[in-house]
Amino acid sequence: MTIKYKTIKEIKSMISQNEISNIEIVQEVYKLIDENKHLNAFITLNEENSLKKAEVLDKSSSNLPLAGIPIAQKDLFCTKGIRTTCASNILNNFIPPYSATVIENLEKAGCISIGKTNMDEFAMGSSNETSFFGNVQNPWGQKLVPGGSSGGSASAIAAGIVPAASGTDTGGSIRQPASLCGISGLKPTYGRISRWGMIAFASSLDQAGPMARTAEDCAIMLNEMCSHDEKDTTSLNDKIPNFEDNLNNSLNGKKIGIVKDLDLSSLDNDVVAVYENSLKEFVSMGAELININLPNLSLSVPTYYVVAPAECSSNLSRFDGVKFGRRSENPKDLEELYIQTRSEGFGDEVKRRILIGSYVLSAGYYDAYYKKAQQVRRLIKNDFDSAFKNVDVIMTPTTRGPAFEMGSKGSDPIQMYLEDLFTISANLAGLPAMSIPNGNIDNKPIGLQIIGDFLNESTILNFAHMYQKVTNWHNYTPEGVRQ
Amino acid sequence: MDKKTVTTISYLSRLKIDGEKEEKIIKDLDNIIEFVDQLDDVDTSNIEPLTNPLEKTAKTRTDEVTAKNLKNELLEIAPSSNEDYFLVPRVVE
Amino acid sequence: MTWDTVIGLEIHVQLSTKSKLFSGGSTEFGAESNTHVDLIDMGLPGVLPVANKEAFYKAIRFGLATGANINQTSTFDRKNYFYPDLPKGYQITQMTKPIVENGSIKIVTDDSEKIVNITRAHLEEDAGKSIHDLFDGETGVDLNRAGTPLLEIVSEPEISDAKEAVAYFKAIRQLVTFLDICDGNMAQGSMRCDVNVSIKKSGDTELGTRAELKNINSFKFIEKAINFEIDRQIRVIESGESVVQETRLYDSEKNETRSMRSKEEANDYRYFPCPDLLPVVISDKELQEIKESLPELPEEKEMRYIREVGLEESEAKIISSSKAMANMFEEASTKTDDAKLIAKWLVGDVSALLNKDHIEIDESNLSSENFGKLIERISDNTISGKIAKSVLEEIWENGSDVDQIIETKGLVQIQDESLLKEIARKVIDANPDQVAAYKNGKDKLFGFFVGQVMKETQGKANPKSVNEILKELLQ
Repeated sequence: MTIKYKTIKEIKSMISQNEISNIEIVQEVYKLIDENKHLNAFITLNEENSLKKAEVLDKSSSNLPLAGIPIAQKDLFCTKGIRTTCASNILNNFIPPYSATVIENLEKAGCISIGKTNMDEFAMGSSNETSFFGNVQNPWGQKLVPGGSSGGSASAIAAGIVPAASGTDTGGSIRQPASLCGISGLKPTYGRISRWGMIAFASSLDQAGPMARTAEDCAIMLNEMCSHDEKDTTSLNDKIPNFEDNLNNSLNGKKIGIVKDLDLSSLDNDVVAVYENSLKEFVSMGAELININLPNLSLSVPTYYVVAPAECSSNLSRFDGVKFGRRSENPKDLEELYIQTRSEGFGDEVKRRILIGSYVLSAGYYDAYYKKAQQVRRLIKNDFDSAFKNVDVIMTPTTRGPAFEMGSKGSDPIQMYLEDLFTISANLAGLPAMSIPNGNIDNKPIGLQIIGDFLNESTILNFAHMYQKVTNWHNYTPEGVRQ
Repeated sequence: MDKKTVTTISYLSRLKIDGEKEEKIIKDLDNIIEFVDQLDDVDTSNIEPLTNPLEKTAKTRTDEVTAKNLKNELLEIAPSSNEDYFLVPRVVE
Repeated sequence: MTWDTVIGLEIHVQLSTKSKLFSGGSTEFGAESNTHVDLIDMGLPGVLPVANKEAFYKAIRFGLATGANINQTSTFDRKNYFYPDLPKGYQITQMTKPIVENGSIKIVTDDSEKIVNITRAHLEEDAGKSIHDLFDGETGVDLNRAGTPLLEIVSEPEISDAKEAVAYFKAIRQLVTFLDICDGNMAQGSMRCDVNVSIKKSGDTELGTRAELKNINSFKFIEKAINFEIDRQIRVIESGESVVQETRLYDSEKNETRSMRSKEEANDYRYFPCPDLLPVVISDKELQEIKESLPELPEEKEMRYIREVGLEESEAKIISSSKAMANMFEEASTKTDDAKLIAKWLVGDVSALLNKDHIEIDESNLSSENFGKLIERISDNTISGKIAKSVLEEIWENGSDVDQIIETKGLVQIQDESLLKEIARKVIDANPDQVAAYKNGKDKLFGFFVGQVMKETQGKANPKSVNEILKELLQ
């Protein structure tokens, strides 16, 4: 028996049928990691603890919802006693004295945290090319990027190493790599999952979420990741539903918003065709397509590139070489300590964003940039608010195309920023959104984005699951369609 | 975005831009600022800025001491410390 | 040329909450270094602040007591700068919507009273402490203080000289201690102040360029620093130069202010709303409860002492001037009926001892219970006033119980009339010349006889009885 390319649901059943032991699962995972070393999906492994936990589970059968499920954790979550780097040189040696709430929640549910996955440095990037620990490879092609920033998590799932992983999404960092690696990934409503222990990039945009092969597995993961957390005052008190409950609801009469203002003309015909085909699938299940207007949608990228750098410039000030993390060698004075530590510790993209952030917040520019962007942000949110009066979900392509080659975006950062064109608005408005595989172009997967109303993850998961019941795209792997 | 501005914001950010990269950084920043300048054209009069997508009010704590003494753990992860303090090069005031 | 001085004060008041503004770390003063540092105070990656409601309540007490507007919805901003004792690289403060705005306070100087307007009072977190002189070539950082709640009280630039500035500071200190929101302990840094000073030609309406004086932590230094700075600015302007807007450090050892311009270089704090903290809302009910819980304030106390207790205005003023003094008065009053006598002693002998030792009454060995008992022993004639004075001095030294001192030292007043008569007769017999002189009209000598009797009894005789007996015997 193998767990390669298996889902959480399938592995659970294998365990309960005694077809495989917990220890065998863990051993196979590390064998798969070893076979896929070239992917560079992991930064730090947690092998000894994982084997121990599997041994304990084998001795006492557990009925916890994720008992024995191997899960990869993005290296942006603090893990007590396990190195946490955010893929940055500045945290190269950082071992946190505490764990993120998400990690605690998942582990309490019985999962085995296999290791910490590679990512763009501080989650700033869309191709996993900004990691201090090197590029991550997309299992769908040697030269292909896995997307970013949760590229390691996406790549590990796509290669069949683990059934699921944690990710974080500030402007598309779960959905874009999910699209490029052919897996399912959900960014919940802002506040659904506690941010305690998640190393902040842009605090008003960051949200953790599940990445897995299927929508159903995302629902299983989400059930365990959510909690009301007193340590995060932006964590919501609203009732947390069982996200598996509505997966099989009929889509008959449900309304899908199609964004009229979205200019698809810059996309390849193939991408548009894939998108339109999946809309047809939903129509054939009884859903209705409704044209909606999101007039300010095109402003989401420039808005984001003011708000996110502003917050990041401040959030990353704590990495100063004084209390934790890496410090430059023999600084002659305090100023040099700060400047050398930070200049050596951060990569170019992180520096670029810190500088932009400092600029838009500086005296004389605050109103023109930061305040203006937050005003436009409200306009974008207002657009969604009115759209959701008439529709259940909104659908767009997740990305402008399938995985691109490493280095192909050239050296112009804006080309990379535009990669997140479709995903960013959900972060600005705090809305839940998901990407599921909906096609294959030149043997490269691509995803469909489903955006839901505030706190309406269940509806998104319902659409996604029903789609996966009648299509097979989520079963495509780099080695062929899984059975 | 000129060299002087980049020098100022680099200093505010405690970052040093290497000589050879400076030109490229200035160009990148210039492009990004030009890109976000399109927000200028939007009429935002009377629009309240949205600083957090949750338009809610904060939960607060009651005044209780819950922290444990973490002195040893915290000093241990510091790049430089003695048994009592975090250490940095002498600051002259 | 005559110059007008314009002064504004920013007073940082440490609020006396048990835990920090955004963490469950303790605010206790004087603990071993870095033992009161929570993950949040340390600014570790991934941690998030949660606001302490009590800090808001304490700030609101100040706002209500100064007749200010309370912003029932207030928000937090980040002030960004790098310093080793600022763990996150930013301070969380209230820039745009402070909890308190537009209050005022009355100040009293030697000759007059004046109202000083308070622009705002906002909550913010304190920094840790940098220790520069303990290690060779290195600065040590202690984060125990990091995150302690501060109320920064900003006055309008309406203060005209150093004396007024001190009076303003004293008025604020008196108020925050009465309100029980700060212990007012300046030696421990519970109150610190920055002073903005500028000068302008007399009569000019436009303000001059100001300098901000930092690091001032005593009444004495406020006065000295301001006076030095006024002189300096006058010298600068009269020599044809102009005052630079800058931060200056007051050096109390050299009694001078010096420029910290190096630190100011290119400083731009890049304030923006803290995205981790949603607005904090105070309900009408909470506000009402705080209003109802406000204690009696100094002026109200003064009026009550005059009207209801019958104290002299001067006594009432002194006793109501500090919370500790007022507490002593009110608590001691429950031990004896003679409140006026308590007041007399507080304003007299007790104040003299306090002045001698430069301490506050709650720092002395005198408990309100013991003090009440002392006064009671005077009113019930157990001891004389003179003996009471020596008892007070002994309590001052070691805090012993009044009755125990009286008993062990045998200080009980002699009430036995026949015994006193016997002593008085002895005194008269021993001083025939004085008796003759007295009888010849030298009335003043009466005091001599009283003194002799008191001497014979080691001061234990009841002076009233002695007077009566001597009058009778000398007739």
